[in-house]
Amino acid sequence: MNAYYAIFRLRRRLETQYRGAALGGLICQVFFGLILIALYRALYAGRPQDMPLGHVVTYVWINQAFFRMVLSSDPELLDKIRTGGIAYDMCRPVSLYGFYYARLMAQKIMGTFLRGAPMIVIAALLPKGWGISLPASLPGFLWAAAAMLLGLLCVCAMENITMGFTMRTLDSRGMQAMLNLLMMLLTGNVLPLTLYPDSWQPVITALPYAQMLDAPIRLYTGIYAPETAWLILLRQAAWVAVLVCAGSLMWRANQRRLVIQGG
Amino acid sequence: MSYISVQGLCKHFDVRQKREKGSLLRKKERVQALQDVSFDVEQGELVGYIGPNGAGKSTTVKILSGIMVPDSGVVSVGGLTPWENRKEHVRRIGVVFGQRMQLWWDVPIADSYDLLKDIYRIPDSEYRQRLDELTEALDLGGIIRTPLRQLSLGQRMRAELCGSLLHRPELLFLDEPTIGLDAVSKLALRDFLKWENREHGTTIMLTTHDMEDIAALCSRVMVLGHGRKLYDGDLSELLGRFDRLRTLSATYDRAPEVPELPGAERVDLEGETLKITYSTDKMEIGTLLPLLQKAGGIREMTVQPQNIDHLIAAMYQEMGL
Repeated sequence: MNAYYAIFRLRRRLETQYRGAALGGLICQVFFGLILIALYRALYAGRPQDMPLGHVVTYVWINQAFFRMVLSSDPELLDKIRTGGIAYDMCRPVSLYGFYYARLMAQKIMGTFLRGAPMIVIAALLPKGWGISLPASLPGFLWAAAAMLLGLLCVCAMENITMGFTMRTLDSRGMQAMLNLLMMLLTGNVLPLTLYPDSWQPVITALPYAQMLDAPIRLYTGIYAPETAWLILLRQAAWVAVLVCAGSLMWRANQRRLVIQGG
Repeated sequence: MSYISVQGLCKHFDVRQKREKGSLLRKKERVQALQDVSFDVEQGELVGYIGPNGAGKSTTVKILSGIMVPDSGVVSVGGLTPWENRKEHVRRIGVVFGQRMQLWWDVPIADSYDLLKDIYRIPDSEYRQRLDELTEALDLGGIIRTPLRQLSLGQRMRAELCGSLLHRPELLFLDEPTIGLDAVSKLALRDFLKWENREHGTTIMLTTHDMEDIAALCSRVMVLGHGRKLYDGDLSELLGRFDRLRTLSATYDRAPEVPELPGAERVDLEGETLKITYSTDKMEIGTLLPLLQKAGGIREMTVQPQNIDHLIAAMYQEMGL
């Protein structure tokens, strides 16, 4: 078996061991989803927006269901970098970047699946106006699924860049707090990107953060038409390529200057 | 050319100091971890690498294992430069960092081994055979299905060692492998390393603070201090240079008169036992014995060389470390 697939499988299996964490995450995210939707309903009752409420509610639920994909890090990995356990991984005949990329991907896929799948079911059972809507069309849904995969690749590449910074500063907290803020704002976690002013849209949707969750959600709700969906996916793929290149260059440079401290 | 060839290896670190009062800049202190270190190691050798804390031992191991780039110097391991040809190089080496973990904390150790099998692309049959061999030699049979977190330190170290040897490395680096182990585990580990070296001709480089490890395993020893190589050669010869102090204990029938012993470093009387510490270059046992016999009837007598740790401490002191 390929080394990258092997670590992917082991990490994925490990993630299923943390069922308590998944349940906690599920409850927390459902709670957040309900509160956010109550807020938007109140907003719409007072001052209706251009975007239909159903879209916003769907946006919120998909965002909550895929929270783990976008906003999570692997504490074990960060610990390895901080304490020097990374030394062992550097002694392996594999690309360190690819090795950690596969590991992150496994954690994100399994972690998201454990929390997201039951959450979508719950959100689908909620009454109209509170629950998630069906996709705009079948092609829209299929495009959205493909876009979600590209979004995942984008998130992992971005996470690896964050880790690249951690390798330089040796403490993840400062950099992560900053990057997480960008992540929460610009992926649409705090406020759906669809609610930002129209004049912002060209810029905000072109950023790498919008490729992670916003693009698939817009395909799902039909804001992006299936006919031009390939353009969206092309943009996502371009960002994946850029982020992966930037990340692996950064890691290569890091490996040459890395000092494993502490004897 | 030798299997490992190291020429003029230098490496420095910048250590940041706390900002001084009234100064805006943090001072960097330059620490020379390795200064012009050169040595050769032949295939199949078992070499001990010793020196006080901070001498540069781990830095050498990190450079030789390809995870650190030196400032200058030429290194060749089996014809490859570790940090230039990292992937090919690391495929042939095994590393044990005594204070770090390579196996996964929450999964059975067998699963960590399976991952290593895939990383090193070990063929199935070869893997089975090697795993069986190591399981037996390291006595892992009972714990291979146990998660790492439930193992004792000694079990864990044996499990880690197995993980580092699955891909049959031709060169094994051990960085303080016996740290924190009890006597039984230490002895077992030493026996295993001797076996691995003899059976498979694995070249082993061992850094440790445990002089018993070195004495039991290595015929050749290198001493490092302040980033320089201070000694390279036979262990017994090295010890011979500093091994002068002896302690002689003579137990008499009844408490003797303490005799006059010119040249002795120390003389103590404890009940019926007379303890004399002397230096071999100032006093010979031949002149000592008649003097002791005059003092009374001797029931029992032992002569002990100095503890090896004391020797090394004396040696470090003499070398100005």
